[in-house]
Amino acid sequence: MAEAALEIVDASAGYSGRIVLDAIKLSARKGELTAIVGPNGHGKSTLLKAISGLVPVTSGEIRLDGSRIDRLRPDQIVERGVIQVPQGDLLFPAMTVHENLLMGAYANSDGLAERIDFVFALLPKLKERRNQTAGTLSGGERRMCGIGRGLMAGGEVLMLDEPSLGLAPIVIEQIYEVIFNLRREGRTILLVEENAERIAEHADMIHLLDNGRIAWSGLGAELMARPEIVETYLGV
Amino acid sequence: MDVLIQIVASGLTLGAMYAVATIGLSLVYGSLNMLNMAHGAILTLGGYICYAAIVHAGLNPALALLAAAFVCALVGLLIYFSAALPLLRAENFETNIFIATIGIGSVIENLMLKGFGPYPIPQPLAVEGQVVIGNVHIPLQNVFILGVAIVLMVAVAILLQRTSAGRAIRATSMNREAAQLMGVRVGRVYAQVLALSGALAAVSGIMISSIATLTPVMGGDPMLKAFIVCVVAGLGNVYGAVIAAIALGLLEAATQYVLGVRWSFATLLLLVILVLIWRPYGLFGKQQVVRL
Repeated sequence: MAEAALEIVDASAGYSGRIVLDAIKLSARKGELTAIVGPNGHGKSTLLKAISGLVPVTSGEIRLDGSRIDRLRPDQIVERGVIQVPQGDLLFPAMTVHENLLMGAYANSDGLAERIDFVFALLPKLKERRNQTAGTLSGGERRMCGIGRGLMAGGEVLMLDEPSLGLAPIVIEQIYEVIFNLRREGRTILLVEENAERIAEHADMIHLLDNGRIAWSGLGAELMARPEIVETYLGV
Repeated sequence: MDVLIQIVASGLTLGAMYAVATIGLSLVYGSLNMLNMAHGAILTLGGYICYAAIVHAGLNPALALLAAAFVCALVGLLIYFSAALPLLRAENFETNIFIATIGIGSVIENLMLKGFGPYPIPQPLAVEGQVVIGNVHIPLQNVFILGVAIVLMVAVAILLQRTSAGRAIRATSMNREAAQLMGVRVGRVYAQVLALSGALAAVSGIMISSIATLTPVMGGDPMLKAFIVCVVAGLGNVYGAVIAAIALGLLEAATQYVLGVRWSFATLLLLVILVLIWRPYGLFGKQQVVRL
């Protein structure tokens, strides 16, 4: 079994005194795809924000390669190599695709040209659109740009927050093809997804988040073999 | 034709001064959502520091200008650390910082009143001579102001477009959370923007006082016009602000010639009202449209 890149140990977090995440315990192992599934509004995005330092962790610890990162600023966490592609992309709309990709490498610009080549090879549509402002891209292209920007950072752990949200089925397939390719290349990925079926086959480990707590953890096949859990928590 | 040349020359000078005064204000609003009401006082402070550096410290004008820009950049930093940073952690930042900067501006104005007195003082930074185009004599001072403004605007454009720090400023102004997720230390960006705004305000104050006079309250009028430019351009839109500033300068010069000086400010205000009715988000501002 691969060693853990990212460990969350009994971490609680929330906004303005309201606890959203309650004693979360999970890990993302190196080179694996770890998925967090669960209903809307139960803390999945908050968990990624807490890991990125955007939401304060009130108790417990978050560790990267054994070192605590839960007291660091967001920019320090990015420098350590924990990269997030947020929900809804959060691109810089008035910047070109190329400038958005450069922003991805803001904290670490080593090998910039190689990384841009890598992203353009993986997401050729971005190369065609490189001089177009991000605000004028279609939904699927924006999502590709968000993922490309995340890849530009290099980093050790890539966190993706609902990359399929609001996209047409054909675009979702394309996006997931890219994600699964990254997994095959040995990237450590922490993926938040509402649709468990979509990632069950490819995820190395799935955690079900319900009301800010881990309600179940296991392999994708195990989850799909438990229809009562899928029906209760995921409404499938 | 001579009248047209005169109007264009005066309008470009006014527009250049408004543009430099506005860039800093617009950068700060774009990045922090902060209306810096101390901007006018910082602008005046720049004028006085340049005056003191030349008259009392005996510095040459170029060094005096740099000294004024440096001190006003420090004042910008002071505003960040003493007011903006603590207020950013609390709710209602926009309202609180608006009020706080009114207070800071008032303190700076009173310090200048105490230090330099209430009477107008001429700014010693003067360029003698004139350029003659047709029958129109344009003071070299105006050409100098235009030149300094163009150099500053180009420098700011290069900073914002071509450097990593500039991209971080633009990214922060577009989406603070996304910028943080790229590794941008937004607190540092805010401090940089306020320092840059202070330095630009100082240069603007020096230019304005060089064709008028120095008084402790001289920053009020340019700050008001800078706000007008910001609103007409779209709050936080730096490039739009430069274009709007030049256009408003030309309009003001034309109004002064056609209707008289007393109507120029009223015309600007009327224009703001019309622009806000037509495009509430400003001429160069954009409505947030999300494509799905």
